[in-house]
Amino acid sequence: MRPTTATALVRCWLRGIGAAAGCALAAAGWAEDRGGDGMVLIPAGEYRPLIRSKDEPERVAVAAFRLDVRPVTNAEFLAFVRAHPQWRRSRVSRLFADPGYLGDWAGELEPGPRAPADAPVVRVSWFAVRAFAQAAGKRLPTTAEWERAAAAGFTQADGASEPGFQSTVLAWLTRPNPEPLPVAGSGRANAFGARDLLSLVWEWVDDFNTSMVTGESRADSGLERTLFCGAGAAGARDPSDFPAFIRAGFRSSVRANYTVPNLGFRCAQTP
Amino acid sequence: MTPVKKHFTPLMQKYPAVRSRIVALALLVSGGAAGVLAAEGPLLAKSNGRPLAADLPVEVAVLTEAPNVPPPITRRHVAKVIVNLEVREVVKRLADGVEYTFWTYGGNVPGSFIRVREGDFVEFHLNNHPTSKVPHNIDLHAVTGPGGGAASSFTAPGHSSRFSFTALNPGLYIYHCATAPVPMHIANGMYGMILVDPKDGLPKVDREFYVMQGEVYTGGRHGEQGLQNFDPMKAEDERPPYVVFNGSVGSLVGDKALQAKVGETIRIYFGVGGPNVTSSFHIIGEIFDTVYVEGGTVAQHHVQTTMVPAGGSTAVEFKVDVPGTFILVDHSLSRAFNKGALGMLKVTGPDSQLIYSGKEVDEVYIGQASDAGFAASKRESELMLQKEKAMASNPQIASITKEIQVERGKKVFLTSCFACHMANGEGLPAVFPPLAGSDFLKADKDRAIKIVTKGLSGPVTVNGKLFNNMMPPQEFSDDQVADVLTFVMNTWGNDFGTVNVNDVKRVRAQNK
Amino acid sequence: MKTTTGILIFSFLAAASAQAVAPATPPCCPAPESKPACCAGPKPATAATAAACCEELKSATPFTGQSLYLLDAKWTDDAGRTVTLGSLRGRPVILALFFASCEYACPVLVSDIQRLRKTLPESLRSQVQVVLVSFDVARDTPAALAAFRARQGLDAGWTLLRGEAVPVQDLAMLLGVKYKQDARGQFSHSNVFTVLNAEGEIAHQHAGLMGDVSEAAKVVAAVIK
Repeated sequence: MRPTTATALVRCWLRGIGAAAGCALAAAGWAEDRGGDGMVLIPAGEYRPLIRSKDEPERVAVAAFRLDVRPVTNAEFLAFVRAHPQWRRSRVSRLFADPGYLGDWAGELEPGPRAPADAPVVRVSWFAVRAFAQAAGKRLPTTAEWERAAAAGFTQADGASEPGFQSTVLAWLTRPNPEPLPVAGSGRANAFGARDLLSLVWEWVDDFNTSMVTGESRADSGLERTLFCGAGAAGARDPSDFPAFIRAGFRSSVRANYTVPNLGFRCAQTP
Repeated sequence: MTPVKKHFTPLMQKYPAVRSRIVALALLVSGGAAGVLAAEGPLLAKSNGRPLAADLPVEVAVLTEAPNVPPPITRRHVAKVIVNLEVREVVKRLADGVEYTFWTYGGNVPGSFIRVREGDFVEFHLNNHPTSKVPHNIDLHAVTGPGGGAASSFTAPGHSSRFSFTALNPGLYIYHCATAPVPMHIANGMYGMILVDPKDGLPKVDREFYVMQGEVYTGGRHGEQGLQNFDPMKAEDERPPYVVFNGSVGSLVGDKALQAKVGETIRIYFGVGGPNVTSSFHIIGEIFDTVYVEGGTVAQHHVQTTMVPAGGSTAVEFKVDVPGTFILVDHSLSRAFNKGALGMLKVTGPDSQLIYSGKEVDEVYIGQASDAGFAASKRESELMLQKEKAMASNPQIASITKEIQVERGKKVFLTSCFACHMANGEGLPAVFPPLAGSDFLKADKDRAIKIVTKGLSGPVTVNGKLFNNMMPPQEFSDDQVADVLTFVMNTWGNDFGTVNVNDVKRVRAQNK
Repeated sequence: MKTTTGILIFSFLAAASAQAVAPATPPCCPAPESKPACCAGPKPATAATAAACCEELKSATPFTGQSLYLLDAKWTDDAGRTVTLGSLRGRPVILALFFASCEYACPVLVSDIQRLRKTLPESLRSQVQVVLVSFDVARDTPAALAAFRARQGLDAGWTLLRGEAVPVQDLAMLLGVKYKQDARGQFSHSNVFTVLNAEGEIAHQHAGLMGDVSEAAKVVAAVIK
């Protein structure tokens, strides 16, 4: 089922030499976690919402939590649908997953060449990934938690002040998705030890539907009252943080039964 | 000046929107299907809340890739027009050796040209390709409604949205992505145009073209090779390394130039996607007979340069009276000459000497300098020439000059010549002749200059061996020719004398 | 953080998916790999309640795969009674999420729905049930909902419900409603109401406030016929 380590290494190498070390580890099936279970502890800290209403604080406290080192893979999701047949492609209701669900898999229980075992699983709905997390005794991270984890740079806790970090994030954002997707966890670890938060696929969060971007982005700074109840926004924290805008927009563009070719997930846990 | 001005009819007569709506309603209530076909004007009129668009004849919009424009709409009734536009994120050429990940409507920059008729009911499908990284939407300036369709068309990758609108106002309108961060989406190529033909159509012209200007904010400076990233700081500061027509440097140049024949009338639908820079649109050597200012109803005539704002458009008409290449530029000229905002219109056909003669005289012109001043300048030139001669005849200076030339020439040689003649000057047997110890080189300095500047093909004998190959002319300055020849004539044991700039100038003049 | 475990929704999904493949199977009869649909809840169900539940459901035709009534969460109305959405089956429902201390949008949303009802003939109006479900898990007690009913002058055609955080989130997700609580405890939220057909499937969604509700009214009338 699992491709050879050599194949994985080649796909790793394609991501660039910088990722080679983490790649070798990921390819060998090791996660560079500190607890030995593929998760890292994200210490208590703060999250700065991108767009907030006048009544919202500029910084939101985020309690310590544990987060998967890397996104969930096709192999792991295959094990889940084997154990929980109601989540197989042919059985799931359209209420919970649109017709694209696991659409790049070769068969019902066969990810196939377009979905390598060690690549992140994509085309999965929010309902499906939440069920996965629950079956694993975990949960989905909240927006605040996910953003808190992803705010770290490679070497500093605050990526925004790390030279070159933002441009690396932008570079991923403006390149087409490789096909098939690279090995999950083969990207460089951030300061918390989490990998590929900003360099592989978009990821579901539990409360993605708190992102109130209308699609009419120019009106979002003063969230329109007829579409959304709530006070006018104080505006964006940093209009130059383009990747943060794109993440907010992405979360706002989907519904819970949507499946998207570059949207996967990872799980969290309260310690 | 072009002598004949043909089109003085206003392009887009603004339709009295409110009245036409009432007319449409009356027709529809009384008329049934025939009435619908005959109906003029907007048709968003509702009966029991259901748009009567359901009864309209349906057609699918023809979409074209720039610089092409869909054919004029000839029908004289409103229709339901279905537009299927696909958003795709693709890596494409921005300039030679430079690539960029463009976010596109239809796979190209600018996006597909959409053409509908005033009053048409447009059913718009925005399809975001599954390989897209991010959600997108569309704001069509031709839409009367909040956001121009932006919120209604907000679409995740691998999904599709639909919304409808009635094209109430005729005119030429921009469309663009309005997803945050909007400047990034636009700078990445997400803009295009929709033309709403007035109900009576546009004046007939022989050719229509579609050209749009936009900026690209690359991480690297202009010309830096490889796949470039978007640079948010440059976008914020409005410092684009590229300002281009139709999505890339050279998109309208050479065999991709716009083509026309003498005597034809041309209409260019020109828009500026931006996101930031206003264009000073001009065609070198033409005067716009008619400019539909800001893409609207007012027809201005005899215009040299028209200003088109970011997110705005203009339609220009002119008749081409003489053959030649006419250059489209943003007349804020650094953008044309340093950043790429340059295109070409090639017109073929017979000359018309009366309108434009071509060059008739070229002679020395002394100007208005005072006699005293002119005499002083002339004397200075003579003295400079004397000084050069004196220096050339001084063996010490000559030797240093030669050494300088050899060092400079070495650089030229190692850039342009060594691949064939080899670093050791020995060439490749039977393929590339040697320079080291070459009797052919030694024999004729002027011939050597001619070969470097004009190239050489056909058989030559060097040191008793026959070579039959082709050497292309080298694009060197006079200094470079002198330097590289001095290098090859004084290296590898050669001692064949030197070449100076005046030798090169003389030989070039002889071989014009 | 979530206050409940979320097991509830999981079993609901299990039932839904089982429906999609084998509509003939009663939803509560356990497939080998899943738990009985109706027997789950925040607390483990006893054998007795599971049996009763299965008995009750066997009598009914199963819900369709697209029916929101597959969400078998228990809600509480403003009189303190336990309600499932499935009990509304058989007639059109206008469903919206709201919160009772809302200062602007929710009262407008209520008036929009009132306006819609008024456009219906008397005979149809009585068949439509409006259901408002609160986001405000903490503050909207049955008493708070009752106060809202009184304040807005809502008749028996209106059902006001409260529930736990997870079912509220599930319902919002199914309806595509965005919501977020701010520091004052107030909610920002989409202003959407949804028309469900007799089977509990989404027939129409109306976004925005103070708009033209005629299309929604037409759908409601069509559902009744």
